[in-house]
Amino acid sequence: MSHLILDKVSVLYDGQKAPAVERVSLDISKGDFVVLVGRSGCGKTSLLNVAAGLVEPSGGLATVDGRPITGPGSDRAVVFQNDALFPWLTARENVAFALRLRGVSADKRARRADELLSLVKLGDAGDKRIWELSGGMRQRVGLARALAAEPEFLLLDEPLGALDALTRERMQTTLLDLWAAAQVGVLMVTHGIEEALVLATRIVVLAPGPGHVVRTFETHFGRRYAAGEPIRTIKADPAFAAARADLTDAIFEGEAV
Amino acid sequence: MSVSAYSERPTAKAGENDGFSVPWSRPRPKRTFVSARLVSAITILLLLIAWTASASLQLVSPVFLPSPAAVWAKFVIVARDGFVDATLLQHLLASLWRVFAALIAAILVGVPVGLAIGISRIGRGVFDPLLEFLRPIPPLAYLPLIIIWFGIGEPSKILVIAIAMLAPVALSTAAGVRGVSRERVDAARSLGATRAQVIRHVILPSALPSILTGLRIALGAGWSTLVAAELVAATRGLGFMIQSAAQFLVTDVVVMGILVIAIIAFVLEFIIRRIERVLVPWAGRE
Repeated sequence: MSHLILDKVSVLYDGQKAPAVERVSLDISKGDFVVLVGRSGCGKTSLLNVAAGLVEPSGGLATVDGRPITGPGSDRAVVFQNDALFPWLTARENVAFALRLRGVSADKRARRADELLSLVKLGDAGDKRIWELSGGMRQRVGLARALAAEPEFLLLDEPLGALDALTRERMQTTLLDLWAAAQVGVLMVTHGIEEALVLATRIVVLAPGPGHVVRTFETHFGRRYAAGEPIRTIKADPAFAAARADLTDAIFEGEAV
Repeated sequence: MSVSAYSERPTAKAGENDGFSVPWSRPRPKRTFVSARLVSAITILLLLIAWTASASLQLVSPVFLPSPAAVWAKFVIVARDGFVDATLLQHLLASLWRVFAALIAAILVGVPVGLAIGISRIGRGVFDPLLEFLRPIPPLAYLPLIIIWFGIGEPSKILVIAIAMLAPVALSTAAGVRGVSRERVDAARSLGATRAQVIRHVILPSALPSILTGLRIALGAGWSTLVAAELVAATRGLGFMIQSAAQFLVTDVVVMGILVIAIIAFVLEFIIRRIERVLVPWAGRE
């Protein structure tokens, strides 16, 4: 069982007096879907970058399976808000990128890439160039590319942030499908309250000044979807509305709205 | 186009109109736009007519300004029989060979230098001042030094052109490298890319549009250095041809040579733009 643990992590950026994050602890296991929410400046992305190995914590310890995180690695693939795809490659070549880095043979990696593209429902878009794809399709390619690295953890930095509302809703179920299929632990940053509720097994609410955890919710709506319940029914459940009110309160706690 | 026209119009107050028809006073639904290309074509045509007229009216002596017909006739003669022991094609190929040899040298040196400037602070510290020093010096100024160092052979000529090309190639590469999106690099690293793999698979392809722009500028710079490079001890080349023609006041060859240089420069620019479209079709579409 893999564990990604942030233990009392603080982040202080060069040239800044106040830390962006102070003594935050997170524990993500394989199969978890942990969502970080909170107002701007609460250090969500800083924490995700610490987990990714892109930012070094100024205090505390980040570990995967007990080993300290010293840099980025393919056991923790990151997907960004702006897809960060490579426009000089086709969709298939983008997905196969991690395999190419490892020296997997061309036909093997093409086959694997096509499998992953089908998994994100882009089975026939392998030969398309990135600029021929819509925003939602690009994000699907980005997810498939991350999964090709066969990560233990998927780190998602507002992956649906740049999409329109309808595409976003559809992508939420795609994310749940992938999470169930790939057997990974997910750490995701989002601004969407409903999105957090739909996806998460655990929601961690952060507050700014410096970033710290104010509350943690265990939720089960994502698991209900994975068990076969339609997403519309889940969202119409009064329990969903109640959870949403609680979460909103927690996020805006201490702030006059 | 309409935006710039809009911003340039004076702010006329109401009542200041005096009954004159002011062209920008009312929005006109149908405006006939004259394409810039047509204007260019007309301009060139008018210049040719003026040139022909002044030559045929003998306003100036043919020694100063030969007629277009004379220049064309000379073009045919030089193309067929040659001038100073070489045909026009041989002059042209000699010049093209020098410029392309210099371009390859400038790429081999300039792209790694630009990469070093773009990705490492030490690289920037070392190469930036050198390039800034080299960039504004006119080729004619360092030509004598290069001849002292390397003699009057072919390498000196290529070197002069290559030096003129180096700064645009290196600086464009550096700009392209610095412009690579952070997220793109981070995504590659989180997919397991090593530093070398990031450079090879992410930074260089990302910088390619900028590098190609640099090559286009470099080719222009190199082509305009050509005449200087061929000043000394050349026996072939368009610059040499113009030089020797000027010494004997064969003005029609001089004019013809200038036109050929201009046309070749235009063709090269066109070819590189085509190459850009094939190699980096994503440029400007991200």
